[in-house]
Amino acid sequence: MISFDIRLNRPEFSLSAKGEFDDGITAVFGPSGAGKSSLLNCLAGSIKPSDGWVTLDGATLYSGPDGVWVSPEKRRIGTVYQDGALFPHLSVRKNIEFGWKLLPEDQRRLDPVEIAELLGLTHLLDRAPNELSGGERQRVAIARALATSPALLLLDEPLASLDAARRGSILNYLSRVHTEFSMPMIYVSHSVSEVVSIASSAMLLRDGEVQGFDRPSTLLLGAASAGDEFESFDNILDGVIGDSTDHLTTVRVGDVNISTRHQNKNLGDRVVVSLGANQIILASDEPKNLSARNIFKGSVSEIWSNTGKVFTEIDVGEKFIVELTENALNDLGITVGQNVFLVFKSSSVDVYDA
Amino acid sequence: MNSDISIVALSLQIALVATAVTLPVGMLVAWLLVRKQFRGKFVLDVFVSLPLALPPVVVGYALLWLVGTNGWIGRLSESVFGSTLAFTWIAAVLAAAIVSLPLVVRSFAAALAGVDPRLEVAARGLGAGSIRTFLTITLPLAYRGVIAGVLLGFVRALSEFGATIIVAGNIPGRTQTLPSAIFTRISAGDTDDAWRLALVSVVLGVIALAVHNWLLKRTANGISSSNGGSR
Repeated sequence: MISFDIRLNRPEFSLSAKGEFDDGITAVFGPSGAGKSSLLNCLAGSIKPSDGWVTLDGATLYSGPDGVWVSPEKRRIGTVYQDGALFPHLSVRKNIEFGWKLLPEDQRRLDPVEIAELLGLTHLLDRAPNELSGGERQRVAIARALATSPALLLLDEPLASLDAARRGSILNYLSRVHTEFSMPMIYVSHSVSEVVSIASSAMLLRDGEVQGFDRPSTLLLGAASAGDEFESFDNILDGVIGDSTDHLTTVRVGDVNISTRHQNKNLGDRVVVSLGANQIILASDEPKNLSARNIFKGSVSEIWSNTGKVFTEIDVGEKFIVELTENALNDLGITVGQNVFLVFKSSSVDVYDA
Repeated sequence: MNSDISIVALSLQIALVATAVTLPVGMLVAWLLVRKQFRGKFVLDVFVSLPLALPPVVVGYALLWLVGTNGWIGRLSESVFGSTLAFTWIAAVLAAAIVSLPLVVRSFAAALAGVDPRLEVAARGLGAGSIRTFLTITLPLAYRGVIAGVLLGFVRALSEFGATIIVAGNIPGRTQTLPSAIFTRISAGDTDDAWRLALVSVVLGVIALAVHNWLLKRTANGISSSNGGSR
């Protein structure tokens, strides 16, 4: 568990943030320039705050009043940067082992071989970083940080330079890393879709100040529906390939079977499904005679309504975020707890390799 | 011929020792200039680069004052060795080092600037201290540029004349380097000797510059691949 209360004063920028993050995945969310990276750098020790304190699992890493400062190499915090920041003169193997080799043997909790396997890097170990794709580079960066057996993993917009297909895959790897190694993570992002998909709690930063700390969907969809800078929201879900016909492939997401366009994949392959919140139709009665292949019955578990845009969370066994307009919400008279039907076309669903 | 060999040997000795001095000093200065923000950075930059903009004779004259009985170096060496350094080969080393330092610092700074600082931050976060980070990340990524800078400094030290002749003189067998020996031969009308020594200078210079250019070409490639790796 990491706790902090820090202030950072710079001529052009100031940050003031207080928080306590548990051992789950915590997202730090906010627009560019909100202070997300500065906060991470203060926690990792690559920037010294102007004042305040930081503790990790009870040990003080920084204290302004007491003059405590633990240098970054002694903090046991791993960081994954936006573009990986891999060492270009070292092979993938040597990148991953860089920090691991510096650890005293009794502190080597995680094995680089196992980490490489989990992240699907085993066949890439002898490559040079410039021979890797963007997604592979990010996985190496994650492996390199994990190999130092950190008490906390910081991820600074790890998906920002990747395309949609790679994003889902890295998110999937991160969840696996979190479960497999019980690794607490702080995940910095300006994408609501990513944050909602991966994090168990989220801190919203704006202009160097903490605006809220809550469940990601509660915190962010409310804020997002009010903000004008908001991107479209994508439901990002882990799935497994099921049966295929000539034109359609079923993807199992939890207990829900989603029809998608035909996928050239094998039964049982792990995939990531992406579905835009604005691609889903809500119906208050069961729709009949529709061409759409996906119709699921569920209940409304949450509604975020602000200026014009409305997001609802519908639980059909899996939770889907659906975007609709204020008018539609009122016309259908949708309220929390009500039963509704989710409708979307198989062609609205993107399926990526996990 | 014998005197030729001793002249070349002394020139190489002075240039090598001068290079051995400029390597660590130049690295420290370049690192400060590229990686650190501090008061007086501009002053340091100008001070180190100044010999590049001054006639070497002026540098030699300033150095002569410094190592003479009135300068602090002179007083220090008098109390330690019982004499000043003026008109010794060590004075020639100082002259060569100071005149070549700006070139060395510039090459090193360019080489260090080509290394993405976030790689150093990443190495620190992975548990490497600042010295280990410099040795395992910064230097390996910058080393071709560093070697090129060393060679450039060596070439400059080898050809140093103006400052050397002021502070070290032109004493055959003691401080007479290749350039000052050529100067003496030309002044005395020994054109054969002058041409022969000039040819030796050309050969040494061509070798060093060829190696320098080769390394620089490799450095350019190295930097582009390092950027490719971190994009």
